[in-house]
Amino acid sequence: MTRTLAIEKYGTLFAGLVLFAFLMVFAENFASTANLLNVLKQVSFLMVLSIGFTFALIASELDLSFANVCSLSAVVIGSLMQAAYPWPLAVSAGLVMGLFAGLLNGYLVTYLKVPSLISTLGTASVANGLAFMITGGVAFVGRWDPDFLFLGRGKIGPVPVIILFTLAIVALSFFLSTQTKTGIHLQATGENEEAARRSGINTRKSKILGLALSGLAAGLTAVFLVANLSSAAPQMAGDFLLNGIAATLLGMTMFTPAKPNILGTIVGALIIVVLSNGLVLLGAQYYIQDIMLGIIIVASVAVSASVLKRAAFAL
Amino acid sequence: MNRFKTLMGAAAVLGAALISGQAAAFDLGIVAFQMSAETHARCSNTAEARAKEFGWDTQVLNSNGSLQTHAEQIENFIQKKVDGMVLCMSKPVQFDAQFQDAKDAGIPVITISSGSSPHTLFDVQPNEFVVGAEAAVYLLGTIDFEGGILAQRFESNAGARIRGIMLDVVLAENPTVTVVGSHSMARTKSWQDDVRNGMSALILQKAGQYKGIWASFDGQAFIIDDLLIESGMKKGDVSLVSIDGGQEVFRRIKSPDSMMTATVAVPLEDMATAAVDSMKAIAVDGKKKEDVVAGPYLFKPAILVDANNVDQYLN
Repeated sequence: MTRTLAIEKYGTLFAGLVLFAFLMVFAENFASTANLLNVLKQVSFLMVLSIGFTFALIASELDLSFANVCSLSAVVIGSLMQAAYPWPLAVSAGLVMGLFAGLLNGYLVTYLKVPSLISTLGTASVANGLAFMITGGVAFVGRWDPDFLFLGRGKIGPVPVIILFTLAIVALSFFLSTQTKTGIHLQATGENEEAARRSGINTRKSKILGLALSGLAAGLTAVFLVANLSSAAPQMAGDFLLNGIAATLLGMTMFTPAKPNILGTIVGALIIVVLSNGLVLLGAQYYIQDIMLGIIIVASVAVSASVLKRAAFAL
Repeated sequence: MNRFKTLMGAAAVLGAALISGQAAAFDLGIVAFQMSAETHARCSNTAEARAKEFGWDTQVLNSNGSLQTHAEQIENFIQKKVDGMVLCMSKPVQFDAQFQDAKDAGIPVITISSGSSPHTLFDVQPNEFVVGAEAAVYLLGTIDFEGGILAQRFESNAGARIRGIMLDVVLAENPTVTVVGSHSMARTKSWQDDVRNGMSALILQKAGQYKGIWASFDGQAFIIDDLLIESGMKKGDVSLVSIDGGQEVFRRIKSPDSMMTATVAVPLEDMATAAVDSMKAIAVDGKKKEDVVAGPYLFKPAILVDANNVDQYLN
């Protein structure tokens, strides 16, 4: 492997490791077990959501609705919890809501031939409107069933249970995308739809699957968010849109350059959350954090500048 | 590789610069829920300034109106092992788990305009029920307890919601006053647009049917005031009453061109100062919490400011 290729494949990962080492040295308490578990818990939400977005992107479709769909799923869960329905029913409804939105996106893209950029923006707007319709703008808040809250707040020993859920989701996603025929079909569809179709792959099915997984991931994230915060509000996942896209784009600069990949997305999400946590521990003020987040993203990607260009064009 | 070395060098310099600011003084973490709202910024800026007067290290974070970000920032402060936290406009039920963690970690937390929690020392607030009643009674007085009014509400925030409830209570006792048009601000991130769109429609649609306008906080009133001025109204044509206080609303009350009639000025600066002073008394000077504030609330009375007394408050 040439040095250039190594930088292209591992430049961002290396920059992330340097950031990690830097914080271990300079940020007091960063390397403590409690803080590392805290970071892993915090990254769980972004990671699950970004993995969903990555699946859509692997199928070469852009899902810009995932944050709003996540918020809608959250208020569906919240409304049922508030109305004292059993929590498994509320969780199921939230997951179905996310999956349905993803399938709707898939239908719009593959059957009605609406470009995903437009169709998912439309879905995002509808999801936002529905979330406000359900809540009337007022968040559902309550001291809900402890068994439900355990999904977001519970611990097994010192380990937040949400980390274990996320590890399982990561493992399943990685396996699905790299070790199964379905995953290979997804990638083939994303890389060259026409060639994939001619080789017998049902590309329509692959695209629907990619977008459906994105919706399902939004529903899963909604479960964790609502259980963690014991509340559900419209736009409660709004901040995840930019960070989710950033994590996935960062991920596209490593391992399989210019291609969306689950492993890269995981590292990308980790870099963003580690940075956010590290800056607090370093004592940086809030405005520094926003500036630094932008700089670090650009700097990390600059290490693999040629890859970024290709990734941008591939988009 | 040269580029990479440069980046790492810059990172090392930055880290050294950040760390050079750290000292062994009392470390106060301040979190404002949404700094783009003037009240949140006034609260956190005053708390920061007061803490610096004591020679404390302070770090201000902005949650940008995101529940999850707010939770993560509190968690990060716990991991940083700050000596105390002041939270502006937080939410005790949503962040119950984080407050509990802070308490378990021995970190005292004082909230401002948030509501009380068993895990915090106390909440500093003006008593929103009193504030809401004062604004409503004053508005009705300016229209001689007769005729129509417009209402601009905000249901997502507990304090603003209580103010709206108190308006309804006052209206129930004064059936000769009717709400001819009402708009509820729902979108917290693009709230200015939301208010502008909703109220411009009502102002046009209900022209001639209202003598007074009630807004749940001054930021909304400023937008309404500008709309009324644009529509050609003159001071005295309509009574505009709101809540919060601050130099901008005082300037408008004084201005001959503005419709702004009165505000119930919440003493945010006094509240934030009291929070930091109480933190010092309890966490530094070792006084018992009960000797500083007996119950779960420290009430700071609000002041009604209109043309008669605005000069006292206008800088």
